[in-house]
Amino acid sequence: MGSFLSSRIITVLLGGISSGVVIALVALSLVIIWKSTHVLNFAQGAMGMLAAFVGMNLVFKGVNYWLCLVISLAMGLVVGGITERVLIRPLYGKPEINPIVVMVGFLGVIEAAIPSIWKSNFNAVPAPFSQIYYQSHGHTILVSPFVIYQVALALGVMGAVALLFQYTDLGLQMRAAALAPEVSRLLGVRVNRLLTLGWILSSGVGALAAVIVSSGQSLAPTNMDGIFVSAFIAAAVGGLESPLGAITGGLLIGITESFILNYWSTNMAPLAGVIVLVISLAIRPQGIFTRNVTRRV
Amino acid sequence: MKKLATLRSSMPTSARLLFTLLLTIVALGITFSLTALDDSKLAGGAAIAIVIVGLSWLIGWSGQVSLGNSGFMAIGAYATAIWANHHATTPVVFTLLLATICGAAGGLVLALPSTRLRGPYLAGMTLAFSFAITPLALNFPSVTGGSGGLFLNFLSAPKWFANLFSGSQALIRANAQWSADVAIVVAAVAFFFMANLFHSRTGRAMRLIRDNDVAAELTGVNLQRTRTLAFVISAAYAGLGGSLLTLLTGSVSPQTYSLPLSILLLTLMVLGGIGTLSGAVLGGLIYSYSDNLVSLINKVTGISSASTFGANLKGIVFGVLLILTMLLAPRGLVGMGGRLLSLVKRRSAES
Repeated sequence: MGSFLSSRIITVLLGGISSGVVIALVALSLVIIWKSTHVLNFAQGAMGMLAAFVGMNLVFKGVNYWLCLVISLAMGLVVGGITERVLIRPLYGKPEINPIVVMVGFLGVIEAAIPSIWKSNFNAVPAPFSQIYYQSHGHTILVSPFVIYQVALALGVMGAVALLFQYTDLGLQMRAAALAPEVSRLLGVRVNRLLTLGWILSSGVGALAAVIVSSGQSLAPTNMDGIFVSAFIAAAVGGLESPLGAITGGLLIGITESFILNYWSTNMAPLAGVIVLVISLAIRPQGIFTRNVTRRV
Repeated sequence: MKKLATLRSSMPTSARLLFTLLLTIVALGITFSLTALDDSKLAGGAAIAIVIVGLSWLIGWSGQVSLGNSGFMAIGAYATAIWANHHATTPVVFTLLLATICGAAGGLVLALPSTRLRGPYLAGMTLAFSFAITPLALNFPSVTGGSGGLFLNFLSAPKWFANLFSGSQALIRANAQWSADVAIVVAAVAFFFMANLFHSRTGRAMRLIRDNDVAAELTGVNLQRTRTLAFVISAAYAGLGGSLLTLLTGSVSPQTYSLPLSILLLTLMVLGGIGTLSGAVLGGLIYSYSDNLVSLINKVTGISSASTFGANLKGIVFGVLLILTMLLAPRGLVGMGGRLLSLVKRRSAES
C-alpha cells in the first residue's frame, strides 16, 4: 500500500487534487459573481490577495493565525461590497466590455498598490499545521496535515456556499434575483441589495482562497495570478453558470496541470490550461454541466 | 475647402492617402527639430500606437476584448530577433512584414477556437494566452534565449542620412532620428490601411456585429469569419508593433511581454478613445511621455521615485486613469475633445 501511495502517478494525482480544490474554490467565486451580475471579475484573485495582505500581515506582528484568517475574510467581504457599489453599479446596462475593462484596471491598481503599502516584506506565512509528509512503511506520501487542512478548508467553504444557496431563504432569493431580476423585484425581493451581497460573498470566498494559497509560503501580490487564470478556465469549462461545473473544472485543471508540470515542464503548465479550454470549448462550448441555452434575439 | 470636401466624398481613398502623406511629412519635419531623447521616445510611441490601433479596431469595432495582444507582440518581437540573428542583411521592410505575418498566424491559431466565444470568455481566453507566453518563451531557451532574451543590431541610420548630421554626438542624433522617422513611416502605412479598413465593407459588417449580431447574421454577414478576421488583423498589428519595438531597442526579453503590458495597452487605448485613429495616436504619445508624466506627479506630490510607492506609481496612476475614464468618459480624450468642440460650436451659433 505504501509503495503504491508513494508511486509517482499517485503523488502527481494527489498534488493535482490539492491544487485543484483551491482552483475550484476560486472558480466557484467567479461563478457566484457571474450568476448574480453577469460580470467576469478579472480582479477576483487580486481582491482576494488584498484582503489576505491586510489579514495575514498581522501574523508577523504576533497575532494568532486563526484571528488573521477571520480578519482576512472580513476584509474580503468589505472589499467585495465596496467594489460592487463603487465600480460595478454605475456600469449596469452598459456594454459588456465596460466592466471587463474596469476590473482589469482594478487588477492593475491592486497589484501596484500592495507592494507600495506593505513594502517588500514577503516573509513566509507560517503554516498552522505540520508540513511534514506522512510516512507509510518507509515510503513518503506527499500528504501532510497542512495539505489536509488546505483541502478541508476549501471543501468546507464550498459546502457552506452550497448550503446557503440550496437551503436558506436568502439563497433562494439570490438564485431568483439572478434568474429573473424583474419578476423577483415584483415579488418583493430587493434585487439590488442581493447583487451587492453576491459580490460580498464571492469576494469573501476569494479572500479565503488567497489565505489558503498564501499559508506556508510568502505573501506576494501576484500569488493568485496563475490560480485566477486556471480558475477562469475551470469556470469556463464548466460553463460559467454552473457551480458544480466550476468545481469539476477546477479539479480537472488542477490534475492536468500537475501531470504536465511533473512529466513535461513547469513552464508548460499555463499552456496546458489554454489547451484544455480550447478542447473543451470545441466539444461543449456551453460547458460540461449546463444545458443548451437559446440566445435571446 | 469645398473642393476638399468633394474629394473626400468622391475619392475617399485618395483623400485619405493625401491626408496621411501630409501628416507624415509634418511629423517627419518635426523630428528634425527634436532632441535625440525625444526622437527615440517618439519612435517607441509610434510602435505602440500601431499595436493600440489594432486593439482599438478589435475592441471598438468588433466588440471583442483581447488581453492577449502583448502575446502577439512577443511573437512579432521574437520572429524579428530570430530572423535578424540569422539573416543580418535583410531589408527592414521584409523583417517587419515577416513579423506581421507571424503575428497574424498566431492570431489565427488563437482565433479559431476563441471567436466563437462571447465577451467574457474571449477576454479570459486571451488572458490565459498572455499568461502562457512568458513561460513558453522560457521553456525553449535554445530558440528564445531563455530569460536573458535575444539581442540584435538595432536600427541605425544609413550613410547618406548620417552625413546630414555634424557636430557633437552626430551619430547618436542621426540614429535616433532615423529610427523615429522609420517608425513614423511604418505607423503611417499601418494607420492608412486601418483608416480604409474602418470604412470598408468588413468595417461596416464589424460594427453591425458589435451592435446586433443576430441582425448581422440575418443580413448575410458571416459572423465567425468576420470575427476571426478582426482578431487576425489585430494580432498582425500587434506583431508589427512588437517587431518595430524590437528593432528600435535591439533586444527582446520574455518579461517585457507579460500581462502588465496588455493592461497598459488597454489603458492607453481607452484613454485615447476606443475605436478611433486619433485616439490611438494620442495613446502612443501618452506612452512616449508616460515617464515624464510620472516624474511630474513625483514632483508635484513629493513622492520619491526611489521609494517602493514611487516605483509602483506608474501602475497605480494608469490603473486609476483606466477606471476613471471608463466610468466617467468612456469615449476617452477624443470623445471629450469632440464634446468640447460641439459645445463651442453651439455657443458660437447661439451668439
